[in-house]
Amino acid sequence: MKATFCGLLMVGGLLWGCDLNVANPNQAFEEQVLTTSDGIKALAIGMQRSYASNNVDAYVRHPAITSRELAANTTFSNLIELEDGLGALTGANSGVHSIWSNSYRIMGMANDLITNAPEVPLAEGTRSGIVALAHLYKAKCLGFVAQAFAHAPLDVQADGQAQFKPREELFAAAIRSLDRALETATSTPPSDEFNADILGEGFDLINTIRAYRARYHLFTGNYQAALEDADAVDPAATSVYTYDAENENPLYAQVVVADDYAPRDHFGLSSTESGDARLAFYTVQSERTSNPNGFPIEDLAGFWHSATSPIPAYLPGEMALTRAEAHAMLGNIDAAIAEIDAVRTKTPVDDPYGVGASLPPYSGPQSAAAVLDEIFRQRRAELFLHGTGWEDSRRLGQPGPSADPFTRNRDFYPYADQERLNNANTPADPDQ
Amino acid sequence: MRLFAFLFWFGIPTAAFAQLTITGAVTDERGEPLPGASIGVVGTTVGTTADADGQFVLVLPLPATETLLEVRFVGYQSAQRTIRQNDGLTTVVFQLAVDALQLDETVVTGLSAAASKKQLGNAISTLSARQLETAGTSALDKALTGKLAGALVQQNSGNPAGGATIRLRGTSTVLGDADPLYVVDGVVVNNSSPELIRLGGGAQNRLVDLNPNDVERVEVVKGAAAAALYGSRANNGVVQIFTKRGALGKPQITYTSRFSTAQVRKTLAVNKALVDNNGDKNPDGSNVQRFDHQDFIFRRAAGTEHYVSVLGGAGSTRYFASGSYLADQGVVANSSFRRMGGRTRVDQELSPWATLSVGGHFSFSNSNDIPNGGLNSNYGALTGFIFGPNTYDPAPDPTTGAYPNEGVLANPLEVIDRYDFTQEVSRYIGYARLDLAPLSRLNIDYTLGLDTYDQTALAFIPAGTSAPGLANGFARRAAFDFLQLNNDLHVRYQQNLAPHVQSTLLVGGTLQYEKGATFSAEGKDLSPVAQTVSSGATVVASEFRSEKALYGGFVQQTVAFFDQLFLTGAARVDASSVYGQDQRWQFYPKAGAAYLISKAGFWQNSALDDAFADFKLRASIGTSGGQTAIGPFARFTNYNATSYNGRPGLVPSTQLGGAIKPERQREIEIGADVGFWSNRLGVELTYYDQHIDDLLLMRTLSPSTGHARILQNVGTMSNKGWELLVRAIPLVHSHLRWESTLTYATNKNRVDGIEGGRLILPDSFSQVSAINGSPLGVFFSTAFARDANGHIALDEDGLPMRAAERKIIGDPNPDFTASWINHFAVGRRWSVRAQLDAVVGGDVFNFTRRLAALSSFGVLTDYERELNGELPAGYNARVFRIFEHWIEDGSFVKLRELSASYRWQPAFLGTSSVQLSLVGRNLFSLDNYSGYDPETNVAGQRTAVRGFDFVEVPIPRSFSMRLSLHY
Repeated sequence: MKATFCGLLMVGGLLWGCDLNVANPNQAFEEQVLTTSDGIKALAIGMQRSYASNNVDAYVRHPAITSRELAANTTFSNLIELEDGLGALTGANSGVHSIWSNSYRIMGMANDLITNAPEVPLAEGTRSGIVALAHLYKAKCLGFVAQAFAHAPLDVQADGQAQFKPREELFAAAIRSLDRALETATSTPPSDEFNADILGEGFDLINTIRAYRARYHLFTGNYQAALEDADAVDPAATSVYTYDAENENPLYAQVVVADDYAPRDHFGLSSTESGDARLAFYTVQSERTSNPNGFPIEDLAGFWHSATSPIPAYLPGEMALTRAEAHAMLGNIDAAIAEIDAVRTKTPVDDPYGVGASLPPYSGPQSAAAVLDEIFRQRRAELFLHGTGWEDSRRLGQPGPSADPFTRNRDFYPYADQERLNNANTPADPDQ
Repeated sequence: MRLFAFLFWFGIPTAAFAQLTITGAVTDERGEPLPGASIGVVGTTVGTTADADGQFVLVLPLPATETLLEVRFVGYQSAQRTIRQNDGLTTVVFQLAVDALQLDETVVTGLSAAASKKQLGNAISTLSARQLETAGTSALDKALTGKLAGALVQQNSGNPAGGATIRLRGTSTVLGDADPLYVVDGVVVNNSSPELIRLGGGAQNRLVDLNPNDVERVEVVKGAAAAALYGSRANNGVVQIFTKRGALGKPQITYTSRFSTAQVRKTLAVNKALVDNNGDKNPDGSNVQRFDHQDFIFRRAAGTEHYVSVLGGAGSTRYFASGSYLADQGVVANSSFRRMGGRTRVDQELSPWATLSVGGHFSFSNSNDIPNGGLNSNYGALTGFIFGPNTYDPAPDPTTGAYPNEGVLANPLEVIDRYDFTQEVSRYIGYARLDLAPLSRLNIDYTLGLDTYDQTALAFIPAGTSAPGLANGFARRAAFDFLQLNNDLHVRYQQNLAPHVQSTLLVGGTLQYEKGATFSAEGKDLSPVAQTVSSGATVVASEFRSEKALYGGFVQQTVAFFDQLFLTGAARVDASSVYGQDQRWQFYPKAGAAYLISKAGFWQNSALDDAFADFKLRASIGTSGGQTAIGPFARFTNYNATSYNGRPGLVPSTQLGGAIKPERQREIEIGADVGFWSNRLGVELTYYDQHIDDLLLMRTLSPSTGHARILQNVGTMSNKGWELLVRAIPLVHSHLRWESTLTYATNKNRVDGIEGGRLILPDSFSQVSAINGSPLGVFFSTAFARDANGHIALDEDGLPMRAAERKIIGDPNPDFTASWINHFAVGRRWSVRAQLDAVVGGDVFNFTRRLAALSSFGVLTDYERELNGELPAGYNARVFRIFEHWIEDGSFVKLRELSASYRWQPAFLGTSSVQLSLVGRNLFSLDNYSGYDPETNVAGQRTAVRGFDFVEVPIPRSFSMRLSLHY
């Protein structure tokens, strides 16, 4: 048919427009990206950018209201709902939607990299770096989804009808991904090309894989494994997401510039010690109160004080506190207290990022319960606004959920409406 | 050589004598000349048109012994006369009888071959140049307003080149462009409305590049039943425009000039309270002085246009050429539009069976625009006025020259004086057409059309103005380059299958290609004096390119039985580059029937024949497609450029690509054309039922797919309505001829298949929605709480309360449109024309008034009444959040056109005639609308957001004097 038309028009001396497969000069399309080495490398970079802009933001900003680290400071209804928590929060909330959708979006990109990187011509070390990176990113997304939702799909599914699994299975899947990431990156070390041109600047692949594996082992009760991984993380290493004028530090934009959110006084925890040097690291003292709920608030400093401040992927202090909790749960209270003290007495100069409590050693009761409370207090201060505060509050047996502004206001989020509308397998929302 | 030629001439003297020259005249029943009537030899392409005095000269190079001449003129019954060579008769006078029904009129749009309207199974609307002459507007689409049943023409802005939209039988898409396909002399012509700078609703649509003076005839088919042959581009109907062409004979020169003046019909009454918006007097106890900023914004605008054309022909060549210059001021100070253009056309007979036509149209236009905020920006003249407060004098300080910055937004006078927003467009439309008739029954024509333009827009806001957010200066340059080509080949074969059974077969193919590119750059924080983008401290640029290709092929068969029954069947296949790979080829069938029952034997032998001069029944069904909602690359899952640590990367768009196909319309129309009273009264009645399947809507996806949304053919839409046209010639008297035309049309639109039941439409401040089971574009928002009796519920302060739930609070789609046109020819020289347009039942969202009522702005009388205590304190603040309060009835009856013309032949000009016309346009409006004008729309030419009033420039009342000289 096409040949006939073109033949017909050749009579008129015109061949313009005979091709219906018009190329898109503005954007690449899927096939062009996934079947070329340049496309795969660019996607690996795009995935990191997308995560740094959208996921880092989603994983911190909204759960931090639920965990009471941040106060809503605007009358936007989605923030008021988040701060009210409990029954007021619905699946229509854009914050809930943003955690959900950004996670599966990155998982889709990671899957494309894992599937297609072996199929395109790449240097061995570049391929292993990309595949390891993709497994790590997928694992982080699974982990953050499991921190916010009681059930969720283990992977993206094209037909939109993914089955929901209990969150423990998501953590297990995250750990499996991290195992593969580590396996890939250690059996074929990432190439210089990968490290210099693809991996985010300042991002430490191996230590980050180990740190997240330690985290998820801890969350799922694999204490021995958590101890091993936490020990394997180099305490002097740093690993960050970077920002620039085009891709601004998201908390700087939303909290410092827009002022729609503000850090609560004393990290939103009534037991925070006033001599804790981390208060001055993360916040600037202010006499303000939030609008509309009137909580005392501070100004934000820490890793979000400028548009280009890098944000750590994890903190070295988290490894010490992981060990402390694992020891405590395994019954080694003394070892736990030793790790707690390492964090309590750490001064800013001892920490690669300058996070230091400069507090005296722990002097409280030696009971496991008291030690776990102390671990929660230290995690809140050490890991302020790093996306684990809500999980810590649940796992370490803190009271809640309730309307008390010092306890979490929900256990898990309701499922995003857009998922429920399109996926028949979406379970009923948890009550709180 | 010369000698040879000399001998050659004298060698065949008989050939010279064989040539026959016929002179004659065409008049109406009163003996008045009918300029423009076409005279042709039946069965040939030989023909000419009558000149300004109704005279014609027809040269027959090779006359047969008997020649059948036919004369046609719109509005008159055609007439035939046989000329016998032997008679020596060379002068004939045709006197044509009126024909209100005009079934003899020849049309071509969507047909196998030129055919008279009586053969068609569908309605077709036509207009001739004469009906456009005294419209008082220099834009073709605006000139069509009210003249076509079933066409809703809306002028969206009162700027001199402000845009207009045409909806033929309603809207057939939610996401796409709903304007019809325009074809000029066989060239597919682009009518986009590129919004390159932010002007509010005042974007030009590119039909403004054409000059109505060049137009000879317009044909409009409104839906799939008639337009199936246009395939994937026919869902919104087709407007085919034919321009003037040459005629054999001495050159005919026409010169037309116009001088016009325009002014806003009304301004808004402003707050005259003697206290400020807090209710306080000045600190010294004196009264607060208030200003009407409209005095600084609006002015009396002047305009002029000059047009000259020459047409003629000799031997085998006919030619037409025209040139024009137009300069119109806008009613908003400092706004203006200028257009220069020209058109040429040459028809060359290559042989008795081959004709080549080549033509071109060039235009250059520029405009000075005053931005008016609107939906996308907060700077503008009327914007600054409505955000007030009107408690400051906007005039610059006489000593420093600084403009007071006391308003909520930019000082309107500063916007007018210091902002510099301009647009320039150069356009070329060209075509070549070859007509071949190798056999008497076989016709072949091929058209190559080209339409290309570039539109460049500049915006400049100097540093140090009151523009919010842009106080350090802003410069933008944006350009849209467009090119479109169409190749069309038609092969037509006519034969008699049996006595009284004629067949016409058409086979055709089309190949269309278009590409466009938008490039823009803008700079902020400008260095002093310089106006270019590069003087900005921060500069960003963007580019987008688009490309589309479409093929189509079709077959159409028409069979005529006994000149009474006409049957048509057709099919088109289409392929477009924008469709998904698996949906490339589309199929569009069509069928139609017309039965001239008044020609049937039983009818002619009965009393019915006395009552009805003509009685025709018609029915047709057709399918067509729409692809305007599909982006050029929407079939792909596209990856967007990004970067991390300065390294280039790619991220997939949240929109998943897919198997997109066209929106598909099925239309059934049935109707009757009836002529009464010797065809002095004609009635055309049509009912249509359009159903659109595969309506394109954005669907959400489970986010667990990794994507957020997909464009899918999931919705449905319908348009149903009636169209009535009544044309009467109640009086034909030697001193007075009265022609009266009434059109009436209804349309009911309904959308279905929207996920979740409701889709909030973009560019509407979230106030406009598409809702399942409702017409497209209803206003869905907050409403009054009401008691059981439907009365507005009041709280303890006596203020109206807001209902808990949002609901549909208004519908901008009119219930019906109607027009009544009367034309009187008085004596030989005078003619008077009047046109009333009614658009009834559509709501308008008066967002302008809503803003002005809030205490922070308080510019109009709503807030003055609260300050004066006529309204309870807090009333305006309360109703500010109850949007239902701001919905008004936008029904109107406008005196659209009123003209008086005087035509005479001054002795000193010989055979020339002169016509002087006084034309008024939009002289008055009968409506209950409190704003400027219920017709304008701040969303401009957007498809679904209609009837939205937010400081758009009102359509002015204009008067023009038009002088036309025919030589």
